[in-house]
Amino acid sequence: MEIQSSAPVGNASAIKSFEFTGNAREYFSIWIVNICLTILTLGIYSAWAKVRTNQYFYGNTQLDGASFRYLANPIQILKGRIIAFTIFVVYYLSGMIAPMAAGITMLIIMLFVPAMLVMSMAFRMRNSAYRNVKFNFEKNYKKAYFLFSLPLLIFGIYFVVLIQFAPQQAVGDEQQAQFPFVIAIMPLIIMFLFPWWEYLMVKFQVVHARFGISEFLFSAKTREYYMMYLKPFVIMILAAIAFAVVFGGMAAYFGAQPKDTKPDLSSIGLIIFPIYIGMMLLYLWFFAYITTKRTNLVYNNITIAGHKLKSQLKVGYMMYLYVTNTLAIVSSLGLLMPWAKIRTARYRASMTSLEPDGDLNNFTAVQASKQSALGEEVGEMFDMDLGL
Amino acid sequence: MIKGIYFDGETSSKKEVSLFYDHQGRIGIQGAHLKPVALNMLTISPRIGNTPRYIEFPQGGQFETEDNDAIDAMLGELTAVKSGGFIYRIESAHRIILLMVVFVAMFAWGFVQYGVPYFSRELAMMLPADASRYLGQGVLETMDEHWFEPSQIDADRQSKLQDKFAELINNLEYTNDTQLVFRHGKQTGANAFALPDGTIVITDELVELASSDQEVASVMLHEVGHLYYRHSVQSAIQQFGLAMFIMVVTGDVSTSSSVITALPAVLIKAGYSQNMEWEADGFALDYMKRQNIETEYFASMMEKLEASHSTVFKTCMNDNGVIADCLDKALKNKQHDENTIGLGGYLSSHPLSSERIARFRSN
Repeated sequence: MEIQSSAPVGNASAIKSFEFTGNAREYFSIWIVNICLTILTLGIYSAWAKVRTNQYFYGNTQLDGASFRYLANPIQILKGRIIAFTIFVVYYLSGMIAPMAAGITMLIIMLFVPAMLVMSMAFRMRNSAYRNVKFNFEKNYKKAYFLFSLPLLIFGIYFVVLIQFAPQQAVGDEQQAQFPFVIAIMPLIIMFLFPWWEYLMVKFQVVHARFGISEFLFSAKTREYYMMYLKPFVIMILAAIAFAVVFGGMAAYFGAQPKDTKPDLSSIGLIIFPIYIGMMLLYLWFFAYITTKRTNLVYNNITIAGHKLKSQLKVGYMMYLYVTNTLAIVSSLGLLMPWAKIRTARYRASMTSLEPDGDLNNFTAVQASKQSALGEEVGEMFDMDLGL
Repeated sequence: MIKGIYFDGETSSKKEVSLFYDHQGRIGIQGAHLKPVALNMLTISPRIGNTPRYIEFPQGGQFETEDNDAIDAMLGELTAVKSGGFIYRIESAHRIILLMVVFVAMFAWGFVQYGVPYFSRELAMMLPADASRYLGQGVLETMDEHWFEPSQIDADRQSKLQDKFAELINNLEYTNDTQLVFRHGKQTGANAFALPDGTIVITDELVELASSDQEVASVMLHEVGHLYYRHSVQSAIQQFGLAMFIMVVTGDVSTSSSVITALPAVLIKAGYSQNMEWEADGFALDYMKRQNIETEYFASMMEKLEASHSTVFKTCMNDNGVIADCLDKALKNKQHDENTIGLGGYLSSHPLSSERIARFRSN
């Protein structure tokens, strides 16, 4: 197809970086108006708030001179939220009145979770566009249920085992001994299988997404997910050992003191306080590390029509962002949250780029069919900002 | 002429074009094969900050421009509508923004301080009595397993105290399920608990501290107060309400927000708990005044309870001390040996004892 392109041919294959052009002051206004009007309208405005927020971030994300667009209709979102909220209230109240009903309601809701996730992906994708070509999501419910049946099966076994070995009044020593072992092993199994499951989930989402009629390819390997979790896992074990040693030492030290000395609160505080800070930093590091590696791993393995995505987030800088953001938000009682969000978005965009294979003019859109999928709006409630 | 980019909607190809309009209100694009269209056939996106503006043409094409001001000017000329859209104007008005910040701050404070407790109280009282029992299943068993041992108070004394309890319940006309049990408290020392299923636990150590049945009865009243106001259910609702509120306000569910909200959530939770303790005290105070019972009983019981948790008392008891003597020593010593690191009342789940005691003495 011969398309007029005003970009000089020489630039067609140069790496194009994403750019975020939003600023904190502008977003702060949008954010505070969102909160205020949501409160005043008892939550109804929240649908419009979401659309404005998303469009602010989408519209300020530029690639190759064009922006992204969030097209959702606030009325649709509002409908979905009202339905979801009603279900939730019914569940919570039934829990207070008749525990059995709550349990059953919970089971029914859980049965719908995979469907909800598919619908929420579809809703978000279909309401996103770039260069007036919409994204899409091929709704594969069977696959989604299969993916979820795996963890459900494991949790099911876990609960059955738990009930089976639940301590009874007259219990033999044998059963007592088995009980803790089986209970301890299940979380380990879950931990061991999680990276694989995450790989499957991400692959499912990428492979079923579309831009126009073009498909996305996902080239990551399962072992890359395991490698990603290995380092933090080892570090956490080391940290746990370190804490055990410190606490053990403290207990021994204080236990050896003569009985009627008053516990020296200040020296305990001197030890506990830095430990607490240390734990928080370790937690923040863990979160920063996983988020960074995960984002890079996903984006670096996505290709569409020969164009390759690239992500070069650095763990160090992400951690710096998280620490400073957290401090800022806490000390401003939340008012600096927009600022934090903006600077994070700016960094992420600047570290994401596209290695094009030719120019970006050759994507074909799907023929406009007014298939407003029923129920997708309810899935929107699940559409939470996963930070990817 | 407004500069921008045109996307035809069939492919992603982009074309740098200019938008123009004539006095008849028709919009056209120079550089694309389009007949000028009337304004009312177009969909113009609302202005959101300075993000690009999109104008959608009927056959699927889209014009994208960053020149919001020019679009607003055009709209201003062609229609009676003022620039940007209603919400955008609010977002750009600095004074309104300031007002909104103040409003949201005040609302947040009011909601947490008054809204959540009020709502929880009303809801807790509205729910059937069974709701509390559901929350309380198995708590006593767990406590017996991990904390308590059977009571060592002699049967006679227990029976007298049970009679006292029955008398209270009768006078209060309290009809919900309730029972009084005694336990040897071990680590928990002198203490009393009101469990969600209506069970009130009083430890031997507390009974030993008291110098009369009336003092123990004042504690019973406080615990019944917790049951009467359904504080356990209220607590559950409050936690939920608070969590929902934080989630809705901060909007996103990423982990950073949970780290952030941990500290204020702890403070708020402590605050709610202090209110409930104060309320239970009030319940006891009311009853005692109505029945003309000396409120001093509660005050002195409080004092002894506080003293029994001090290091002076514990050290004295470890040296095989007599309760009365050790209490004396502790009460004289009266250092505020609160086990929180210097933040005094804020982190504690109970209000300051001195304030609680004063309330019963000033009447």
